[in-house]
Amino acid sequence: MNPRLEVLKQRVRDGEGRALRRQEPVNILAECEAEHLSWSKRAARLTVRQCEAETPVLSPEEHIVFTRTLPATIPAVYAADEWDHLTRGRTLHELGPVSNICADWGRALSQGLLGRREVALASLKRYGDEPQAVDFLEGAIETIDAVLALAQRYAEAACRMGREEISEILTRVPARAPRTFHEALQSLRLLQAVVWLGGNYHVGLGRFDQYMWPYLKADLEQGRLDEGAAFDLLAEFFISLNRDSDLYPGVQQGDNGQTITLGGVDRKGGTAVNPLTSLALQVSREVCLIDPKINLRISASTDLELLTLGTELTRKGLGFPQYCNDDVVIPALTACGYRLEDAREYAVAACWEFLIPGKAMDVVNIGAVSFPAAADQAIREGLLAGENMAGILNRVRGNIAEQVHDLAGAYEKLLLPPAPYYSVLMTDCLEEGRDISRGARYNNFGIHGAGSANAADALAAVEEFVFRDRSVPPAEIIAALGADYEGYEGLRVKLAEKAPKTGNDDDRADRFLVGLFQMLAEACEGYGTTSRGGILRPGSGSAMYYVWLAQGHPGMREPLVGATAEGRHRGQPFGANLAPSQGVQMRGPFSLLLSYGKLDYRRVCNGGPITMELSDSVFREPESVRKVALLIRAFAQQGCQQLQLNSVNVETLRDARIHPELHKNLIVRVWGWSGYFCELAPEYQDQIIARHVFAAG
Amino acid sequence: MTTGCVFDIREFTVHDGPGIRTTVFLKGCPLRCAWCHNPEGQSTEPQVMSSPAGTRQVGFEYSPDELAGRLNRQSVLFLPNEGGVTFSGGEPLMQAGFVAEVIDRLEPMPVLLDTSGYGDERDLRLLLDRVDLVYYDLKLIDEGSHLHYTGRSNRPILSNLQVVSRSGVPFVVRVPLVPGVTDTDENLAGIAQAVKGLPGLVQVDLLPYNLAAGAKYRAAGMEFRPEYDESQPVRVNTHVFLEAGEKVRLA
Repeated sequence: MNPRLEVLKQRVRDGEGRALRRQEPVNILAECEAEHLSWSKRAARLTVRQCEAETPVLSPEEHIVFTRTLPATIPAVYAADEWDHLTRGRTLHELGPVSNICADWGRALSQGLLGRREVALASLKRYGDEPQAVDFLEGAIETIDAVLALAQRYAEAACRMGREEISEILTRVPARAPRTFHEALQSLRLLQAVVWLGGNYHVGLGRFDQYMWPYLKADLEQGRLDEGAAFDLLAEFFISLNRDSDLYPGVQQGDNGQTITLGGVDRKGGTAVNPLTSLALQVSREVCLIDPKINLRISASTDLELLTLGTELTRKGLGFPQYCNDDVVIPALTACGYRLEDAREYAVAACWEFLIPGKAMDVVNIGAVSFPAAADQAIREGLLAGENMAGILNRVRGNIAEQVHDLAGAYEKLLLPPAPYYSVLMTDCLEEGRDISRGARYNNFGIHGAGSANAADALAAVEEFVFRDRSVPPAEIIAALGADYEGYEGLRVKLAEKAPKTGNDDDRADRFLVGLFQMLAEACEGYGTTSRGGILRPGSGSAMYYVWLAQGHPGMREPLVGATAEGRHRGQPFGANLAPSQGVQMRGPFSLLLSYGKLDYRRVCNGGPITMELSDSVFREPESVRKVALLIRAFAQQGCQQLQLNSVNVETLRDARIHPELHKNLIVRVWGWSGYFCELAPEYQDQIIARHVFAAG
Repeated sequence: MTTGCVFDIREFTVHDGPGIRTTVFLKGCPLRCAWCHNPEGQSTEPQVMSSPAGTRQVGFEYSPDELAGRLNRQSVLFLPNEGGVTFSGGEPLMQAGFVAEVIDRLEPMPVLLDTSGYGDERDLRLLLDRVDLVYYDLKLIDEGSHLHYTGRSNRPILSNLQVVSRSGVPFVVRVPLVPGVTDTDENLAGIAQAVKGLPGLVQVDLLPYNLAAGAKYRAAGMEFRPEYDESQPVRVNTHVFLEAGEKVRLA
């Protein structure tokens, strides 16, 4: 990267932009109340006032501008008591606002906000007798005008500073369609940042190489840009996405959902890989920051060259790209009711879940089924009742169904606040006069099954020692679990070390893994249609649940579990996503792929990756890098769904616990996202350190 | 049916041959190389490794069916990805009968033999009939030095080298570079002369010194006492091989 970009990157890491943020959020409550605004209009007013309160910031080094100068806190649009009244008896998803979806950026860019405004005006005429539609469309237009005014103020400020180029660009976009790659990046930057200003979060960037390539292609063909200049522009855009990466106020810093999805196939099924696919991988490798988080869509027939490029990025230790296998994902989505052309357009949400950009108001993670709790309760009660393995498995099935029912039941009362500005950016909200919060073409809920390896291992241990070789009496297991293995260390070691383990291509354990996901799929399928007209999509991600389900968390709906029969003490975290239980003896990456290749991914369509840590020593030689690319291809050939491959050095992680000041830039994959190791809570740092790491043989 | 003693089955070994592969490490070796980095591979008997993390048994008996069965499960991964199985050690020639029985039970897949070359010629031929590629170590060309640093003469190794070369199985000569011991111009020139023009020779790999060579000795209840200075950089003399007209690379 050139010195200018290095300066920009350093400023982002130093949080210089954040220092420019004003302290106090704007106050819009009084006017909302005085004008008796509807909720939709309040949401629009929020975006309007936020845009108005922004102060243009232009540094001489920047070619793509927008620096947020408002605080992370989003102003309230309702007084506390009114809010309580409004939300009583309803379920809010996480923080409340529409989040973790993906706009139709291609459409928003190519039509420009003025084009979207025309659509809104036309719909106003068409839906003039529907008050709800009118209310929404009027608000949407207000937000469009506010964003255009903000762009204009930036243009004027640039003009005053003698930055004619920037001024010209911002006079053009986001109002109209970009004429250049530079304009497209600037437009996207502003359009996306305003979504955050409105309090929406996990703002995915979708199939970046698809909707951006036409602009870059035209520039290259007409000689307006060479590859070096394109590289610099893209690098600056990536750096700019990190300026406000602290905004997500959720579980852990860095989990901000700013993902892009690259590669894959187009709507007709042909390859969608283009030169921007590779360029984005290369730029990300040079920029080396946590955003944007990259997903690479591949298949068994993907070029080894692209996989090698992906591996070169993995080698940097950023925890991405994450690989999604089109051969598996697309059929799974169509089996779930997605139209084939839409399924081919999937992008990845904040972590793993598949979304159709612009067309989905899916809530991809309404909670997790605790497989360990489902299995543990079944084991304790089944053994006590003198049941055999089949009896225990029946109980597991019942427990899973019950958890699914509880999670989904709570979301039958889901309340999504209106999001007029976000709606402007979706595929047909303006066209149909309907706010995105009221639904889109796809309105499904995702439920993940977490702790699968631990639960499968617990069941396998019970089968092995209680029912097969009968070396452990049921009462002893029950007593040991109750005592958290105090006084039963011998038994604990036996369960932990001598029983069959998931991830070793051992059918004695893997059959329970397969069974757990079957039960989850059955429970989701059996649930039927939700009140939002969607289905439940079962997934295999774990998110923060690998800590929460083991240690508890205030307000979580999922059950907490104590000591478990795979020899795990109470409180010890579970494996991440699809990864073996922590601390078990592993055979290696091949057995892991073979184990996880046994799942029926057609029925587990919410995503959740096989999570594999490779020692950074594996990546030292170019020849080994190529072998990692072959391993990724083997993953796709095996019919696995998603792969999270990380390069780690455990010694560095340990040292960072002791000397955080020396490792400020150390990046790790936390669950479905990458963050700075030293910004994580200790329990997450420990979970990461305890993962299996496959060394270079 | 013979059983074999195996001290490790490692998946995705990136240094033991082309593509993605699994390496079977056979326990027991006639040599005692001063720089050996797998000391637990030397004894033919199962043993216990102890470390602060606890103890574990190293070396398990496998039947040919058992081992071949496990490798066959992975063949779906190897075949489309340039890979296969490597038999290493220890010294696989010490358990040639067992290795041959395993190979005979393998589904079609490329098999690589990684050997010191020290062993019975009949055992070597038994395996040459069954493998697709050989990694053949040449360490020291001077017999006295070889005896000193490995505990054995290099005569059988040099004579088996001819057997490999005449077998029609392609082979790679691998030279571990040990500072002041094997990396001398004299030794490398001697090795270059020994391999010059050998039919079947694909290339010569010079292996950089493994600074972690001594890592496992304590856990194996052994002592690592190299007579050479580990901290010295190795000399990488590729010139002598190029001069002999052979392909050479630093692996």
